[in-house]
Amino acid sequence: MPEGQTVDHKQTVEAARKAFEQEFGRFARFRGSNNLDGLTLVEAEAAQRELVDARTRHTGKKSALASVKKLIGRVAAEDRADFGQQVQQLETEIVASLEEAEATLKEFISVARTERERIDVTLPGTRPRRGHLHPITLLRQRIEDIFVSLGYAIEDDREIETDYYNFDALNIPEGHPARASQDTFYTTEGFALRSQTSTVQIHAMERRTAPLRMIAPGRVFRRDTPDATHNPMFFQVEGLCVDRGITMAHLKGTLSEFVHRLFGPEIKTRFRPSYFPFTEPSAEMDYSCFKCGGKGCRTCKGSGWIELGGCGMVHPNVLRAVSIDPEIFSGFAFGFGLDRMAALMYKLDDIRLLFENDVRFLEQFN
Amino acid sequence: MNISYNWLRELANTSLAPRELAERLTMLGLAVEGVHEAGDDYVLDIDLTSNRPDCLSHLGVAREVAALENLRVRLPESKPKPVAQLAEEFTSVKILDADLCPRYAARVVRGVKIAPSPDWLVKRLEAIGQRAINNVADITNYVLHEMGQPLHAFDLAKLTEQRIVVRRALAGEKLTTLDGVERELDTQMLVIADAARAVALAGVMGGEDSEISEATEDVLIESAYFNPDSVRRTARILGMRTEASNRFERGTDYANVLRAQERCVALVCELAGGVATENAIDVYPRPLKQPIVSLRPERVEALTGLRVPTAEIERILTGLGFAECDSVSTSEEAWSFRDGIPEEMPVNLHSQMSFVAPTWRVDIEIEEDLVEEVARHTGYNKIATELPASGIAGEYQPSELKKRSMRQAVLACGFDEAVNFSFIDAAHDGMFELLPAYAEESKREDNFVSLSNSIIEGATRMRPTLLVGLLESVRHNFNHGTRDVRLFETGRIFASAPTGGELPLERESLALVATGGATEENLAGAPREINFYDLKGALESAAAAMNLLPLKFDEASVRHLREGQTAAISLSDGKQIGYIGRLAEAVAADYKFKQAVYVAEVDLTDLLEATQATVLYTPLSRFPIVTRDVSLLVARRVTLANLLQAVRDEAVEHCREAKLVGTYEGANLPEGKRSVTLRLEYRADDRTLRDEEVDQMHNQIVNTLEEKFDAQLRV
Repeated sequence: MPEGQTVDHKQTVEAARKAFEQEFGRFARFRGSNNLDGLTLVEAEAAQRELVDARTRHTGKKSALASVKKLIGRVAAEDRADFGQQVQQLETEIVASLEEAEATLKEFISVARTERERIDVTLPGTRPRRGHLHPITLLRQRIEDIFVSLGYAIEDDREIETDYYNFDALNIPEGHPARASQDTFYTTEGFALRSQTSTVQIHAMERRTAPLRMIAPGRVFRRDTPDATHNPMFFQVEGLCVDRGITMAHLKGTLSEFVHRLFGPEIKTRFRPSYFPFTEPSAEMDYSCFKCGGKGCRTCKGSGWIELGGCGMVHPNVLRAVSIDPEIFSGFAFGFGLDRMAALMYKLDDIRLLFENDVRFLEQFN
Repeated sequence: MNISYNWLRELANTSLAPRELAERLTMLGLAVEGVHEAGDDYVLDIDLTSNRPDCLSHLGVAREVAALENLRVRLPESKPKPVAQLAEEFTSVKILDADLCPRYAARVVRGVKIAPSPDWLVKRLEAIGQRAINNVADITNYVLHEMGQPLHAFDLAKLTEQRIVVRRALAGEKLTTLDGVERELDTQMLVIADAARAVALAGVMGGEDSEISEATEDVLIESAYFNPDSVRRTARILGMRTEASNRFERGTDYANVLRAQERCVALVCELAGGVATENAIDVYPRPLKQPIVSLRPERVEALTGLRVPTAEIERILTGLGFAECDSVSTSEEAWSFRDGIPEEMPVNLHSQMSFVAPTWRVDIEIEEDLVEEVARHTGYNKIATELPASGIAGEYQPSELKKRSMRQAVLACGFDEAVNFSFIDAAHDGMFELLPAYAEESKREDNFVSLSNSIIEGATRMRPTLLVGLLESVRHNFNHGTRDVRLFETGRIFASAPTGGELPLERESLALVATGGATEENLAGAPREINFYDLKGALESAAAAMNLLPLKFDEASVRHLREGQTAAISLSDGKQIGYIGRLAEAVAADYKFKQAVYVAEVDLTDLLEATQATVLYTPLSRFPIVTRDVSLLVARRVTLANLLQAVRDEAVEHCREAKLVGTYEGANLPEGKRSVTLRLEYRADDRTLRDEEVDQMHNQIVNTLEEKFDAQLRV
């Protein structure tokens, strides 16, 4: 093998290096350089694709490097190690250059893509519009939950009633002022729209007899012209507890417990004598204002107290009307209005809003 | 009612300051609404319950104060007056209806000088909001507020033959009352008449003709007890409410008739001069009696939890003027209630006390009434606060729990809950098709339940459908600039009973209404308008939340809904329960709606009673499902239900499911046609189906569909 050939081989290696360096020149800025100012993601991605081609051209089967590598076997034995080393070094250089550039681009593209895909996390979340329960329903459900946990059943019954259930059975005989037709709606057939949920007391006692505990939330009707504080239809909750040995102490305990659970343990209660035809003794229950704590404010009209509603021991005539012996059983009953309570809780200054169903109003309750 | 603190103290010398007294009275059941300063006096505004007319005077409130503070009530003292001659020499009294007027007393004062009242009297009256007129009129008013007995002064000279006849009004009789209004009376109304005509409306108001004037010299002072029901009826029918009627209709103290008259006459003589007759003509044909009420002391504890010693019970009740039966004779109250004591008095038994209520108390009938008196004056605040022992578990009505789930499902679909009045305008009669349950009723002419005395103009119908209220709510929202509205409501609907005289039918209904945009304005996603399927989906969610089998929807024609966009809704067992669709143009026009409004109403009573879906586990198949999609070009009138039913009818053994992938209508399809893509699922329980097998089954189904619906396969 002629001596000069070794030299030729060396030149071949140099030529291959030159060729690579020449082409790689445009990628040189990605080698170890962090100065990529002005580079766009699109350019970087194009460069990345070109690099893949470049790698194939310079390291693939048809590359100059591959040709040079094939020469190793043909080099004189004594030069072979040296030549092989040179080829090896060339390969290392080429691969290192490519990889370095690839890594730089990859990193740049990753950062740039992350930036491009950055979102405004403060835009509103995607969710279907959720509707809102009516404030009366919200309050009613809370009250039902409290009384169910106190051992009460939830009852309901008719809204159009006979005079018997609306009045007679409740110890409101004919001629009683509470029976005056100017306060009660009547159908043309002479039936009454129930003017209090106490009617459910009677139905429930007839159905279940004593002992029993129940509350009856529902609509009631009175002939009031609508204004800021009156509606001809409103919602009441009636409560009844009949058992052996029930006293007014239990009435006070039950309603106080209720108010504490609804408004908080700091709320005070007050019971004062009152009058209802269907209870004797009767009481009016007040609770300390939840807004001012009893000091006096607009919500409680300066008195520090808010009226919850009427209550008392079930009148013996009412018990007798449903065949419960008042000598064996005693019971308490109470009733209060939901609308006014809701009005106080939500600071409604006009309760007509409750039945206008303005979406802007309904949306405020949750 | 207004009570002057100074005036009150003349009757019961309370040691309590005005505001403290107000607080204590409130806790006794005399709710003081406000305390106002009035010069050197304070005025207490008391809101009395209807059972305590006895407290509609300073004397009445003084009795409560006296019992509270262990004081004695001092009756007002009058100066000695000149008296001469008997009343019978000047007048006569005849009661023609003793039921309506159990007692009537007349006394005459002659030679009075009508003039303005002295300052102290004017001041007293003005403090409690009363207007001064002249001395005699003011005195009757004064005694009314002092002792609770309404009085009336007639000009004796103006009474024909100076006679008093208490009788019912004659048919067509007219009377011009003091307020100058001529009133037409009916024959059930009680009047005070003279020999010729009615001169006063008994217990309500005097007549103009016999009114006191500056020329009056002799006055007849009337003091009487009238039947409460009679006075209430007269006042109500004539739309009058006076200081007198307010007291008579609740019940006055019939034993106070002469005492109040005496007080009045004495004041007239003192302030207007004149000489009184020695006596009054007191016609009292059937003396009234108070009931005897017994009290077992242990009942106080049984009902209130208060332990009150017998001696304390006696102290409270006698302090309030009750007479204990075996001690009646020892009762020494100056303003004694002897008049009302029954002749036969039982002797108190060992464990039982008996009391006669004072004549001014109209509210004491039974033992529990006495228990309340004892509890009131012991103090409700002394009653313990404890929860009763419970042997009963609380429970929701099963229907309430279902309703709660249903509401949550509908809320999740974006519907707000509405509540409307139960009465609606009769103008909507016949505009809406009622729920199937009321279909029979709606054929009758008298199907609506109507109010005889509605309070909102026009609102005379008890609603037979919730839609009227909901559409009104939609209109309200449109008028206030909200165009995206989704509302639902649950509530009773009414129809009259098939047979007359029976209670109307009541059912619960669920109604939904939706209109406007389907998405929130500020959220991502292209906005689109709400459509039929949004509403249908909400209803389906509601049924699913109530654990019902899927509802069925069939094309239907319904009066208030638009043809071609209407479905009848049925339970899985086929029972029809309601309708859904787009509001008909005529109805929408009536409400002036310019955008599409979708409504649905279903019978909630039926939904609540419907069979619940039962959950039974189905073993998971070990073999894979093979799916094949098919797109068919069919006439638009061919429904998905038609296609699916045809697939089911084919009963291909391993075809497990057929469902919709999508529908397409567009310009590139022939007019009147649409493309429906179905996905058919095939699976065997015992092996993996081979492609050739599936192809064979699938082709069978596709061929059937092609033939049956004249469908073209789209590729």
